[in-house]
Amino acid sequence: MRHIDPLFRLELCNFYGLNRFLHTRDKKAKRRALALLPLYLLLVAVMAFYAGLLSYGLVLLGAGEAALPYLVAVSSLILFFFGILKAGSVLFSLHGYDILCALPLRQGRIVMSRFLRMYVEDLPIALVAVLPGLAVYGWAERPDPTYYLLGLLAILAVPLLPLAAAALLGAVVAAFSSRMRHKSLATTALTLLLVLGIFLGVSWLSGAGEEALDPAFLRELSAVVTALLGKLYPPALWLGSGEVLPCLIGVSLSLAAFGAVAALTAARFRAVCLRLSTTSARHDYRLSALKSQSRLRALVGREFRRYFASSVYVTNTVIGPLMGLLLASGIFLTGMERMEALFGLPLNVRSLLPFALALPFAMMPPTAVSVSMEGKQWWIAKSLPLSGRDVLTAKVLMTLTLDLPFYLTAQILLFLTLKPSAGELLWLLLVPASAVLFSSVFALAVNLRFPVLEWDSEVRIVKQSAASVLGGLGGTLLPLLGLVAGILAPVGWGSLTKGLFCLLAWGGAAFLYRKCLCTDLSRI
Amino acid sequence: MLNIEHLTKHYKGSDKGVTDLSLHVVPGDIYAFIGHNGAGKTTTLKCIAGIQDFDSGSVTIDGKDLRADPLGCKRSFAYIPDNPDLYEYLTGIQYLNFVADVFQVPKAEREARIARYADAFELTTSLGDLISTYSHGMKQKLAILSALVHKPRLFILDEPFVGLDPKASVLLKEMMGEVCAEGGAIFFSTHVLEVAEKLCNKVAIIKDGRLVTAGAMDEVVKPGSSLESIFLEVVDHEAH
Repeated sequence: MRHIDPLFRLELCNFYGLNRFLHTRDKKAKRRALALLPLYLLLVAVMAFYAGLLSYGLVLLGAGEAALPYLVAVSSLILFFFGILKAGSVLFSLHGYDILCALPLRQGRIVMSRFLRMYVEDLPIALVAVLPGLAVYGWAERPDPTYYLLGLLAILAVPLLPLAAAALLGAVVAAFSSRMRHKSLATTALTLLLVLGIFLGVSWLSGAGEEALDPAFLRELSAVVTALLGKLYPPALWLGSGEVLPCLIGVSLSLAAFGAVAALTAARFRAVCLRLSTTSARHDYRLSALKSQSRLRALVGREFRRYFASSVYVTNTVIGPLMGLLLASGIFLTGMERMEALFGLPLNVRSLLPFALALPFAMMPPTAVSVSMEGKQWWIAKSLPLSGRDVLTAKVLMTLTLDLPFYLTAQILLFLTLKPSAGELLWLLLVPASAVLFSSVFALAVNLRFPVLEWDSEVRIVKQSAASVLGGLGGTLLPLLGLVAGILAPVGWGSLTKGLFCLLAWGGAAFLYRKCLCTDLSRI
Repeated sequence: MLNIEHLTKHYKGSDKGVTDLSLHVVPGDIYAFIGHNGAGKTTTLKCIAGIQDFDSGSVTIDGKDLRADPLGCKRSFAYIPDNPDLYEYLTGIQYLNFVADVFQVPKAEREARIARYADAFELTTSLGDLISTYSHGMKQKLAILSALVHKPRLFILDEPFVGLDPKASVLLKEMMGEVCAEGGAIFFSTHVLEVAEKLCNKVAIIKDGRLVTAGAMDEVVKPGSSLESIFLEVVDHEAH
């Protein structure tokens, strides 16, 4: 423990930018961080409220005992999903690697400190997701005090297993990619394949939901949830059981898995880091004819190269369009009628489809962190004769171009399946396109408001910065609003709702774009 | 070429910065800007290069005001920072081509210049490799090449000799001479006082953000003394 403490402290030092906040003399930066605090608290409150409401619903339906396992499973899935996207880059981060390796420290301790850092980062999510459920169930059912103790123990154990599984996969991806020449590209492709595989696997295991919504099953909701969790994630049942033995088995299993993966990672740590840090240079370039292009094309090209050079950046931002494409593929493969039956809701799903498609496409556009990702190289754009318009337009164009193949493929699949009328086709094309445009510009505006250029880890920018949270998710509010309006609007108002949505999106995008162009880049 | 008038820049919450600095660089000048660590050299250079805004004063480059026409000014100069953080995800040639595109350098001209300077700096064979694989010196050479590719009239360089091998240092000095012979000018910061004394026709010394002396090298450094002794004398004098 002698060496874990200082190392762990080092890892935690900049936990969510806390150290920088405490020691910066930049009052503006402090004010910005403080201004964000209510927003973060609101986000936490919304999550906690949602978890509490869900538990309350289950209690009302007589399935209160399923609430805790359900919340444990959901938070585990979230932690696992986000863990895969960051585990490799956190565990095998090369930042400060040379300095750490030169110190008299065992590899295992370095690895353990990084594991613990991820655990501490994940714990608040488990707390926010599970604690309200525990409180609601406790309030409604008045279980004996051991239930609370076991519940708290379960919360502490929740991040362990997903973290271990995500770290194992992240380590495998990092180890595999480290042998490749194009390491970043290999990491990106493998991570995306993994995420897609898991996504499809979970959908398949959950039995596509049809039987779960059968009225006969609703009467035995607790049994349904338990059966589903048994198929998807049995440790959730143990950890959320409220009984001593299963809970202790769950905690022990989680601890054992966590320790085993940490030991396994420690054994391969140096080799993987060494291979990741090894660069290959050919030194065989021969000068030949060069291509010249316009400033804007050159800038867009650079944006793309920057984008594809970071696996964390790609995997976290391409998920939205990929989900949109998956939605369209699902409809293409199963047919619209089956999809409507799947939702089992008395809604005109076909009419709401443009909004449903717009939602994933508007999620986490690359522009949300594209200014921050410039990092220490921001001086280049600032010292070159480039206008803010050139630099910022290139960022938006890059995002739109990136979405284009996903968007077009999704549209072709939907066109072939739905055989839409001219009016339907118009909205199917316009609504998602407008949402993408709005979210791209909105995210850029947020990033210009909350830029972070001094960073040492891309993970911090892509996953934990204010811009990534606000800009990445804020853009989905408009299509969400559209979806709600579409549901609530009287029959026959579909076109009006969609038309208004498009007007709002284009108007908002135009307004924000003009505001972005007024930003003095030399002040960032 | 470069007129700095009463430039003042202070960082919030810090006593560091630059106060009321005025300097004039004319065509043909190789102007050394020296001072101890934290004296305000980099801040001054960043303000001139339009990377940092300043509180008051004015900067005029090639007759254009930096605040009124920043793009016009930036078309006239090249800036190289002390620690060139270049786009590591690009190859050397992609970076050079990107800079050439930004300055709209015609295809034939950029090819000729890159061929000439890359050969001179022995960087040609590495231009196809990612910048992330470059050593500090190679990055410095690439940054210099990116400045030369668009043939600016003014070079603003922050510690340009750091990390360069002896041959590259000699080459850089020769190129500085060439630029000035063609009517350009160079304004650079350095800690290597011997180089400054031999290479430059003008020198400015900055201390704690204030200019303490500036002028022609032969006026600042009198016969029998050296730039080093003058610098130490100025610093000591100010300190006491």
